[in-house]
Amino acid sequence: MAADKSEILQGTLDLMVLKTLEAMGPLHGYGIARRIEQISEDALQINQGTIYASLVRLMQKGWISGAWGTSENNRKAKFYSITKSGRKQLHTEAENWERIASVIGRVLRIAERG
Amino acid sequence: MFDSLKTLASRVRGWFEIRQLDQEFEQELFAHLEMLKEELIRRGMPPDEAARMARMRLGGFTQLKETNRELRGLPMLETFLQDIRFSLRMLRKNPGFTAIAVLTLAFGIGANSAIFTAVDALALRALPYSSPDQLLALGARDAHHPESAEWTSAPALFDLEDRTQSFSELAGISPVWNDVVTGSANAERLETLYVSAQLFPLLGVQAEIGRTFRPEEDNRTKGSNVVLLSYGYWQRQFGGNSSALGQTLNVSGRAFTIIGILPRDFLYLGEPLAGTPSHIDLWMPLATNQLVTRGRPVRFLKVVGRMKSGVSAAQARDEIVRLGAVLAKEYPASDAALEYGVTPLSTQISGRLRPMMLLLLCAVGFVLLMACANVANLLLTMAGARGKELAVRTALGASRSRLLQQLLTESALLSGLGGAAGVVVAFAALRGLISLAPAALLQGRTVSLDTRALIFTSLAVLLSALLSGLPPALRILRADVGIGLRETGRGFSGGHHRFRSALVVTQMSLALALLVGAGLFIRGFMKLLDVNPGFDANHVATFSTQLPPTISTVAQAIALDRQILERTSQLPGVREVGAVSRLPLLGTNLSSTLWIEGRSYAPQEYPGVEYRAASAGYFPTMGIPLISGRLFDDQDDANARNVALINEAAARQYWTGQDPVGQHIKLGPNPEKQDWLTIIGVVGNVRHFGLDTQPSPEAYRPMSINALLSPIIVARTDGAPSALLPSFAAAMRSLDSSMPVYNNFSMETLVDRSVAQRRFLMTLLAGFACAALFLAAIGIYGTISQSVAQRTREMGLRMALGAQPRDVLRMILTQGMKLAVAGILIGGVSAAALTRLVRSLLFQVSPFDIGVFTIAAITLCAVALFACLAPAVRATRVDPLVALRHE
Repeated sequence: MAADKSEILQGTLDLMVLKTLEAMGPLHGYGIARRIEQISEDALQINQGTIYASLVRLMQKGWISGAWGTSENNRKAKFYSITKSGRKQLHTEAENWERIASVIGRVLRIAERG
Repeated sequence: MFDSLKTLASRVRGWFEIRQLDQEFEQELFAHLEMLKEELIRRGMPPDEAARMARMRLGGFTQLKETNRELRGLPMLETFLQDIRFSLRMLRKNPGFTAIAVLTLAFGIGANSAIFTAVDALALRALPYSSPDQLLALGARDAHHPESAEWTSAPALFDLEDRTQSFSELAGISPVWNDVVTGSANAERLETLYVSAQLFPLLGVQAEIGRTFRPEEDNRTKGSNVVLLSYGYWQRQFGGNSSALGQTLNVSGRAFTIIGILPRDFLYLGEPLAGTPSHIDLWMPLATNQLVTRGRPVRFLKVVGRMKSGVSAAQARDEIVRLGAVLAKEYPASDAALEYGVTPLSTQISGRLRPMMLLLLCAVGFVLLMACANVANLLLTMAGARGKELAVRTALGASRSRLLQQLLTESALLSGLGGAAGVVVAFAALRGLISLAPAALLQGRTVSLDTRALIFTSLAVLLSALLSGLPPALRILRADVGIGLRETGRGFSGGHHRFRSALVVTQMSLALALLVGAGLFIRGFMKLLDVNPGFDANHVATFSTQLPPTISTVAQAIALDRQILERTSQLPGVREVGAVSRLPLLGTNLSSTLWIEGRSYAPQEYPGVEYRAASAGYFPTMGIPLISGRLFDDQDDANARNVALINEAAARQYWTGQDPVGQHIKLGPNPEKQDWLTIIGVVGNVRHFGLDTQPSPEAYRPMSINALLSPIIVARTDGAPSALLPSFAAAMRSLDSSMPVYNNFSMETLVDRSVAQRRFLMTLLAGFACAALFLAAIGIYGTISQSVAQRTREMGLRMALGAQPRDVLRMILTQGMKLAVAGILIGGVSAAALTRLVRSLLFQVSPFDIGVFTIAAITLCAVALFACLAPAVRATRVDPLVALRHE
């Protein structure tokens, strides 16, 4: 089941990771996963490990970068931050989503009325 | 697009840093795990449960690591390397199997590469000249003798040069000439060529040292005495010294100045050199050749031209045909019956070789298929032994495609090793091929393994990997996992009997096809050797010489001719001698028009004969029989009578039903200047052009009327002719030191040479057929052995139930022979369909020759029977008690 969910969410998960990094600044893997769970009010109960696939993909495309650093409790962790092209990508994707959402919204309203 | 490139780049980087990245990611996961655990503890969970929950929330480490790895690196490359390592281990553990498989493939791939290299060099490759597809060969054919070759006269060449719009350059080439170079030690006779000055620019060839001809040195009929040396001659005579330039050579009595040396690898491959082993040492301007001034009736040139850019071959052909028709109208006496045509130069050179080359490629391709079938069989056996291992892997979740990948990697590895060994085989095979091939076929070209050959080898390796690996792999994967896991392991371990049988049947049919092919060619060759050449080639030696330029009158020439004959007959071991102007099987000919008293012909239909001048002793020396009338005798010589002899073919063609003896004829282009000749006899036909050609009408005049300036002497010897060959040169030198001796052979050698190309083809095909028999025997042996091993229990049971050893023997042999017969039938049908295509190469043998097919089938049956014998005997030795306990 968890696998199914991650397949469906692959693209959107990438998007959410990007958004999280943009909003929160540099975060390590655990931090990103926690934040996503919080935002979605635990509606998205994913295996936290699945974000690492997203992180690899985003790094390969150059939208985020990673660097080793020290966490709050002095633990060595890898921190990810969004890059300039990542920000650009995020805005483009966000616009797309908005457009799709409004079109579907209009269609649904028509369906309701009709 | 850039995204995918970036991804790829990062993947490549990721692959190089595999271990480091693996460790880093593991650290990252651990850190994540710890943080998750701490969070849960903070929320109030007990540490153990927190640890467990954290693990669950994060997900399986192994899977995460694997996903990370897959995204990160080049997974395909990794699995490929893994497979290679595994396959290498497997091959090392089974050295016997590996050796056999690699050797089989090496043989198949090597043979194919060798044949391909030869075929490529001789028939496929582009000509070594600039823009070779723009080169066309032109010529005029006599419409009355459509089988004769195309030749052009010098005036016609000049007219075409002036009038053509489609060709940027035209060049004429004389026949291979023999000139004598004197001055140094002994007179050396060389092969020379007289060519238009435009030939070298046309081909795009420049002199290595010095220059080629200038246009003013070859001006229609006015030429300068300049000469180009071949590289080889320059090395031989002048030691490669550039001081050769400017020196003079005495060529057949004329002084020629050396103006250039041609490149080392320069070869003119077109006619008149195509298909001959001639090597040209001196090149001189066409204008300096004596035949240039003889006018239109003397057609002695081969013409080659380069099309202007933008002109198509069809346009060029149309123009030449049109110009030819105009010439026919302008000069009806000489050119009326001439039809012009063009051929691409590459076709002129290798067109006649193509059927033979294709046949060889097909045959050797069959051998490769058989080798692949054997290796497929071997792979099947090997995988069979690992049945359990494969079953376990499947049960553990290995996907079909993953297993397939691994099995294919094995066969790819085998093929790769086979290919590498095959290159060595190809090298050796090529050396063998070259030494076996007739010189006329090679024409002095170098045939060696090069890039194209290596590319071909790689393709062959790929093909072998697929052919030998894919069918068994697919077959193995189809087997049932459950059976494989059980103790008996029947399903995986070595069964697949139907598939193996199919392989054996395929091999048998291929082998039969090759056997039939070889058989047809062997039969044809035997028939060729049986052909009566028209003369007795045993114990006859021949040599050619040239009268020195000091001879200026006919009387002097005839006197010297007689002296030559006298001197030769005095040599010990010589019984009789004769002289002739053109010898059978030597490759030269002279045609003439025949005028018969009392008959008139339309201008297009004048009869023609091959013209010869011969001494009286020629016919008895050569063993040419007299059919009617009488031969030349001394009286004819003494009184210089106007007599002539004709051969049976001429008699039959021009005097059907009549007796030609006593009739009057005239020969040559100017009958008004001659007296009538009386036919005094009819002699037997000789096959002048080759054993596989029909005899043409011939007419002979006595030497006393037509002096031989380049006499060809034949001598019947007591012992072996080869013993006498060296003495001829000394004999001629004793008469005149400037008389060279060349074309010094026994007639048997000439006969041999004339069939050399056919013999070559036949030998190769026979070799392939033998290889095929061998491979087929191994194939059927392997399959039947496997089957016997499979059915050990069954044998034991049968024997325990009362079957006699010979029943078991019969059973196994029947099994094997059924496969063989099936293969033979299929092979026979396919062979019948295919041999039709090589009809043109066969000599007097039908492509459906029953005898050949039958013998091939019987041979294959016998070999198959023999191969099945050992396993069958093994089956009878099975101890029933042991067998019943077996697995």
